[in-house]
Parts: sequence; structure tokens; C-alpha cells
Amino acid sequence: MKKSKILFLLLLISPGFVILPGCSSNREPGRTYMPDMQYSRAYQAYAPNNLKQDGVNYKNWPVEGTIRRGDLFPYTLPNDSTGYRLSAQVKNPLPPLTPAQAKEAERLFNINCAICHGEKMDAQGPLSAGGKVPAVANLTLKQYVDMPEGTMFHSVTYGKGNMGSYAPQLTREERWMIVSYVKSKQLAEAGAAAPAAATSGTSTGTK
Amino acid sequence: MNRIFQRCFKAVAVVAFLMLVSPQLSFGQDGEALFKANCSSCHKPDVKYVGPPLKGAREREPEKGWVYKWVHNATAMAMTDPYASKLREEAGGVVMTSFPDLTNAQIDAILNWADSFQPAGAAKPGAGGATVAPQSNHTVLYGMLTLVLAIIAFVLLQVNSNLKKLADEHDNIPGKQPVPFYRNKAYLLVLLIGLFLLAGYFLVDGAMGLGRQQGYQPVQPIYYSHFVHAGVNQISCLYCHGDAQNSRHANIPSVNTCMNCHMAVKEYTGEPLKRADGSIVDANAEIQKLYNYAGWNPDTKTYDRPGKPIQWVKIHNLPSHVYFNHSQHVKVGQVACQTCHGEIQKMNEVKQFAPLSMGWCINCHRTTNVQFNDDKGNGNQFYSLYEKFHEDIKEHKYDSVTVEKIGGTECGKCHY
Repeated sequence: MKKSKILFLLLLISPGFVILPGCSSNREPGRTYMPDMQYSRAYQAYAPNNLKQDGVNYKNWPVEGTIRRGDLFPYTLPNDSTGYRLSAQVKNPLPPLTPAQAKEAERLFNINCAICHGEKMDAQGPLSAGGKVPAVANLTLKQYVDMPEGTMFHSVTYGKGNMGSYAPQLTREERWMIVSYVKSKQLAEAGAAAPAAATSGTSTGTK
Repeated sequence: MNRIFQRCFKAVAVVAFLMLVSPQLSFGQDGEALFKANCSSCHKPDVKYVGPPLKGAREREPEKGWVYKWVHNATAMAMTDPYASKLREEAGGVVMTSFPDLTNAQIDAILNWADSFQPAGAAKPGAGGATVAPQSNHTVLYGMLTLVLAIIAFVLLQVNSNLKKLADEHDNIPGKQPVPFYRNKAYLLVLLIGLFLLAGYFLVDGAMGLGRQQGYQPVQPIYYSHFVHAGVNQISCLYCHGDAQNSRHANIPSVNTCMNCHMAVKEYTGEPLKRADGSIVDANAEIQKLYNYAGWNPDTKTYDRPGKPIQWVKIHNLPSHVYFNHSQHVKVGQVACQTCHGEIQKMNEVKQFAPLSMGWCINCHRTTNVQFNDDKGNGNQFYSLYEKFHEDIKEHKYDSVTVEKIGGTECGKCHY
């Protein structure tokens, strides 16, 4: 009889230990078994570290004057009116896009640019059509069709007007790919709209 | 004669073609279409936007025909013309883009349309609050049924024992010493077994839940609604979390990414937002929090104080003895974000959708088909290396290959 009483007690108490942490609010992450195995002692991404206090020489930036292997050379024009003017002469360093690259560039455009500029480049994206983001460039207009590739790259890199800088989100190569894609689509549409020399005459120097 | 006819026909054909394909050249001016293509990103017909409303623009202009000059070369006008420089000041020093290609007739068409514009009736509130189908909770139902059955069984057993006692007394069979039910060994045994099972269930359930955070929904430093951003505004997941396709981690977007849109988007105008506890969120105050983190001054449109990082709370935590790579799943496997994260675009505050347990991982690896490259170039080129599978598929040994077949359930794939 005594034994069964003890058993009772044990049975009644034991789930409490396990249920209690589980019952806490879902605003808390809950308990873990063996936290040493769960939480790494090595530093994880985005986790705070105290390397500096420990005297460890660690820099999360690339060494100055170096670039990643296979990367394009950095864009050196400054973010001012002179840089903007000079950017017209910057040539697209990429060879013409292959069909696979063009598809990838279109995908990147649709992810990063189309929310404002619209998938048809007519400034009718989900954010701009409803008027949430004003003053979005309609890339099918003549002044954008005629805009040199370098100027486009400059604007994407540093931002222009209401547009922010996309340098943190897209690599140099991806930005140039998108510029190539925009240009080829603009030319294709301009070509379809006006087969005569109406638009192509002015943009020969930037091809 | 024939040649002249042919030439005429050609000329007519060219003109007709140009009229068809080029809206710039078409003679029937569609003011609304022209407005949408050229003006709508900065102007509204009836209210002030970036620029002034277009309605009645010709009544306000200082002299007749002024608007044509302004549209054709706004930059030069803003330097010289007094009314133009006044407009520039009203717009906060921003000069309108020039549209030298618009003809006077087209400008008239736009302004005519704007003058006759009638705002549409108050837009119906969209189906914002999607009704969730009430989930019938079977567990409660089964529990109640079990309880009722147990009570009936208990009553019947009591009735049975009482009847037996009566029958025994009737037959003059000496009954046993009556035992109260709470000392009845049979009852105690049943109760013991029941408690054992119940305790075992909670013990196992609780123990398995250790280190698992399904449903975890922490309070974030800024009330950021994925429903508004990814759902209503249709921003791609990869716009902010683009590194999910390039690296192990789906990055937390930098404040710069937020400011890409929030330089322009200063206030929230949608349906009121609620926290999980039901309290209403002051969305504009949350946007102001972002400006404080970024050090952005929305009035002067400059970063005029030092920014500081936003310490978002990480929701999906894998133990450090598991390796998980986002790019492997998002880019190579073409798995949609929602497969593991749930319908993020419908969550105001994100909570962990999947258990992130090993069984959950393995189940998906067992059932998910690898997207082999097909003749049309869909799927992943990398899997062309798996020649044996391709041959087997050709020989109709099987028609698809799961992740498990290419080693997706081997220990070393994730634990190393």
C-alpha cells in the first residue's frame, strides 16, 4: 500500500516538471534539454560576440583594396552631381546576357524593382499603382529609354530621388545584369512600338 | 496607275500601322492612359500628391499656354519663370520631370480628363479580415465522451455490486465485509493505470517539446507586419531576405532595405493592425521607431543622427549540431518559403510554423521529389550528374526520385 502511494505521488508530480515550461506563453522560446548541445559555444551568425574584448583580431569587412575572386571591379564614381554626369560614359562590363542570364536578370528585376517600377516597367507595381510610393520612374518613357546604362547603374547603386541604394541587396554583377535586362526590354518595346527611326536614332552611343 | 495605287496603299498601311502601334502618335487622345503613363507617379487628378492636383491647372496658370512650356521644359522654367519657381518651392524644391515628347494636344487631353475626373465612391473595405474556418476541436470532444463513458461505467459497476449484495442477502449468502469504493482494489488499479497512461503521455509530450519552439511568437522591437508587406503589398520574400538564395542564412534585412521604401512611405493607411493579445497597434509610431533606428529625419529627408541596429528576435532556432543551408533549399531545391515557414504573408506577427524536429525534416526529404533537369531546361542542371537515376528513370524503374534517394536522409548530410 505504501509503495503504491509513493508511486502515485511520483506519477502526479513528474509531469509537472515537464508541463510547466511547456505551459509558458508562446512569447518565450521554452526550455531546452542540455543547453550546452543546443546553443553553440562557437559564434553564430548575427549573435553578439566579444572578440574585441578578448583581443581577437577580427574584421567583418574585406581588407581594403581587395575584391572577391571573380568579382567585378568596384564602381569608383562618387555619389554627387559630377559622378552622376560622368556615369553616362561608364560602359557595361558584362558581355551580352545569355538566355539563362536574361531569365535570371528578369527574376531579379521582378523581385527587387518590379514592386515599384512594375513588371512591365510602366511604374504600375503593387506599391506605386496604389500611390504608396510616389514619383516612380516609368521606364518606358523616352528619357529612360535614352538613359545611358552607366547612369542607370549609378542610380541603382546610390539611389535617386525616392529610390534607395540597392548596392547592399544586389552585387555589382547583378546590378549590371538588371541594367542590361531593362535596356534590352526597353529597346525591344521601343522597337515594337515604333519600327521607324523614331526612338533608336538617339540612343546609338550607349548600346 | 497600278504603281500609284500600290504607293498609296503602302502609305496608308504605314500610317495605319503607326496609328495602331504607337500611342504617342495616335490621334484619338486618351487622357487617362496618358496620365497613367506619364503623370500618375507624381500627380493625382484631384488632390495634392508630390505635385499639385491637375484639376483646374489651366485656370491657375499665369498666362494661356504656360502649361505647355512648363511640361516641355520644366527645368529651364523653374530657373526663370516666377510662377514656376513658386511651384518648385511648394513641392519642396523638386522640379517636375520634363516631357518634351508630349504634344500640346496630348497635354490638353490629360488636363481635360483631370478636369472631368470624379473620385470613385469610397472604396469598399477589402476582404482584409479573412475569416478562419472554426477548427472543430476533436480532443475536447473525445475527452468529454471518455469522461461520460467512465461515469456510466462507474455507476453501472456500483449498481451491479449493489444488486449482487441484495441478491446475496436474499439468498442468505454471507457477503464479504463491505468495502468503500475508494478502497476497492479493482477501482484503484484502474485509476492507477489511467493515471500512469496520462502521466506517461504528458511526460513524453513534454520531453519531446524540450528544445522545440513550434508556435514561438516573440515580441519584436518593432511591430513589423509580414501581412502588410508580403501580403497586401506583395513584396517578394527575397526582396528583404535575398541571401536565402545565396547563403546558408536567410539574412535579416539591413535598415537600408527598410528605408528603400520608407523614405517615401511615412504612414500606414490600411486596416488597423492588432497584436496577438488583441491590442491595436499604432502603425505610424512603429514607422517612427524605424526612423529613430535609422537616424532618418522625414521632414528634411536626411540622415541627421547616428543610426543603430535593430535587434530583431530570432524565431527559428536549430540546435548547433544541425547544419541547415537556406540556399540549398531555396535555390537548388526550389522549395517555396511557405513550405517551412507557413503562410508568412498572412501573419502579422510571425510565429514558428513548423516543429523543426528531425522527424519533420526527414519526412519532407522522404516525400519531396528532386527537380531533375528536363528537356525544356526546367529543374536543376546540377542533378544531371546523377546519371544512374536518369538511366533508371529511362528504363521505367521509377518515375521520380526523392531527396532520400540522393542521400537526403543520411546522418552526415546534416550532422557533421
